[in-house]
Amino acid sequence: MTRVKMREDKAYDLLAKYGVPVPEHCLAQTLDELEECSERVPYPHVLKIVSPDVIHKSDVGGVVVGVENLEEDKKAFQGILENVEKAVPGARIDGILVQHMVPKGVEVIVGGLRDKIFDVVVMFGLGGIFVEVLKDVSFRVAPMTPRDAFEMLGEIRGSKLLEGVRGIPPRDKAALAVLIYNVYRLLEENIHIVEVDLNPVMSYEQGAAVADARIIVEQTD
Amino acid sequence: MSETGVEVFFDPESVAIVGASVRPNSLGRAILENMLKRFRGKIYPVNPKYKDEMGLKWYPSITAIGEPVDLAVIAVRAEIVPRVLEDAGKAGVKGAVVVSGGFAESDEKGRALQEELMKVASKYGIRIVGPNCIGVYNALSGLDTFFLPEDRMKRPHRGPIAIISQSGAFLASVMDWAAQEGIGIAKAINFGNKVDIDEVDLLRYFRRDDHIRVIIAYLEGIKPGKGRLFVEEASKTTRVKPIVLLKSGKTERGAAAAASHTAALAGSYEVFSAAMRQAKVIEAEETIDLFDMAKALSWLNYPRGRRIGVITNAGGPGVIMVDNLIRYGLEVPRFSDDLQAKLKSVFERRVATGNPVDLTGDADDEDFEKAIDIIVKSGEVDLLVIIALMQPPRLTLNLAEIIAEKAWKNRDIPFIVVTIGYKWAQEFSARLENRGIPVYDFPERAARAAYALAFCSECTRGCGSVDTC
Repeated sequence: MTRVKMREDKAYDLLAKYGVPVPEHCLAQTLDELEECSERVPYPHVLKIVSPDVIHKSDVGGVVVGVENLEEDKKAFQGILENVEKAVPGARIDGILVQHMVPKGVEVIVGGLRDKIFDVVVMFGLGGIFVEVLKDVSFRVAPMTPRDAFEMLGEIRGSKLLEGVRGIPPRDKAALAVLIYNVYRLLEENIHIVEVDLNPVMSYEQGAAVADARIIVEQTD
Repeated sequence: MSETGVEVFFDPESVAIVGASVRPNSLGRAILENMLKRFRGKIYPVNPKYKDEMGLKWYPSITAIGEPVDLAVIAVRAEIVPRVLEDAGKAGVKGAVVVSGGFAESDEKGRALQEELMKVASKYGIRIVGPNCIGVYNALSGLDTFFLPEDRMKRPHRGPIAIISQSGAFLASVMDWAAQEGIGIAKAINFGNKVDIDEVDLLRYFRRDDHIRVIIAYLEGIKPGKGRLFVEEASKTTRVKPIVLLKSGKTERGAAAAASHTAALAGSYEVFSAAMRQAKVIEAEETIDLFDMAKALSWLNYPRGRRIGVITNAGGPGVIMVDNLIRYGLEVPRFSDDLQAKLKSVFERRVATGNPVDLTGDADDEDFEKAIDIIVKSGEVDLLVIIALMQPPRLTLNLAEIIAEKAWKNRDIPFIVVTIGYKWAQEFSARLENRGIPVYDFPERAARAAYALAFCSECTRGCGSVDTC
């Protein structure tokens, strides 16, 4: 069995099927396709490299944010291809993902994995330094209920950030709980999926939006 | 009540002891002696070397017994266990406790033997506890497969606690300790390599067992793929009775590749701990917590909420108590003006009435009595912690009777007592515990017991029987 990353656009499509709020997106392999994509996806855009050989996209210059028009799209498209070729020579390139850049919100992370003992495990935490440095996350295992998803929101040390604090209005907790529960359903129903990482997810006063997603699947060799 | 498959291990009518022996200090001798002492069913010693030693009739094999045998306790060399099990199968034995070691826990050869054992067991439908275990203890039926002689491992008196232990040494030692502490244990089991009967079967069995009010579990791990079932079974169980669990091997990290944040953060213990929280299992931090919590949980009613009142004759320990109660998420509310006025009105000298109520070192038995009465009636607390230090000269040992009487009259508000010290403290403590009031020798331990009680009031509330849960 080998673990491979599901292509980003396919990952978004699968997540959307489970009601996870993913951004509008489109995969472009050529400049013609890029033009098509630019019409379909509302601005501003984020352009991201799609390659099985690139794990951390930003580290290799594989991401350009805040793209406002077709001209910038083209510039970003070329720039990303050059950067990746330089950083990871010979990397297989599936294309460039053009996605709508979702507005800033309180950044959270929602993840899931397949544990050898408990099977499905889901995780919730605040994004950025909270998860990097403080490891401020909470877990649930299968079988879980929507109520568990709500409880996870309250279990992290930084849960006050979701309640509204210092001029930041309260977040839509129901939207986050549903999102967590849907990630759980996705793992329950697709046994070949071994990892889901939605990081960051933007949490708003109304709703939430996934800004980046990674799904790892297990394939028989 | 449907069978869980575990019944035959705790309540067999007849037991064959294969590998029973007359040789002093042998396992076979210890098991036989322990069984003869208390077991109320039929006992068949099996060993081809003997005929009528110790005034017993010995059998060369299980098949030679010629009477129905429910349970076989097998304590012979690993190599011959599969053959003994084959005999057991032919004789219609329902369950086997395989005490013998030398299976998967040792080497390749042992692993192969374990495979063979499992094959024979499934061929005849024999349920297995073990191998490599000390097996089963049931104070109610007198069944005792532990190979530890009684002068080395004292058996506790019977009580409302069940223990599930992955380690035999852990179980034997804490039972010996519990016996000395006066903690009652009804049933206990160690399943060693757990090829068949495991923690999931046992939770199902103990959940339905009316003798058991609290389940203590010591686990090193759950087998791969068994986690979901454990969470389901534990969740059902904690709706009717608490599980207090100690997990070891917490520092071992999962081998998950750190390609994502989720994988990097989900160490095996973090996930285990989350699973326990989800199933409302109380995780003990230390071994002693298992018993501190189980004692309170099995002796007292659960409180209605988490508001704790503290009455003390010692300032410092009162503060330590409050810190620890808060640390465990309990509330120590400041008493209302009305309640404080009532308290002030009955004492001539100055006492602190805010909560803790500090009666100071001048307090006598009557002061405690008055304070308890007023606070219990106030409706402002769900649980009462009484810190009564015996070093100041005015308190008497009679305070134990006074507290016990108040506690029994107000069962809806559980009482926990703390006393620290040597002779007087020990005597005071013994008098209280003999009357069913749990006493702890340090505030931290009492706080953890209070936490367990409050926790249970939330998870088992409004649900009294297995059928409704």
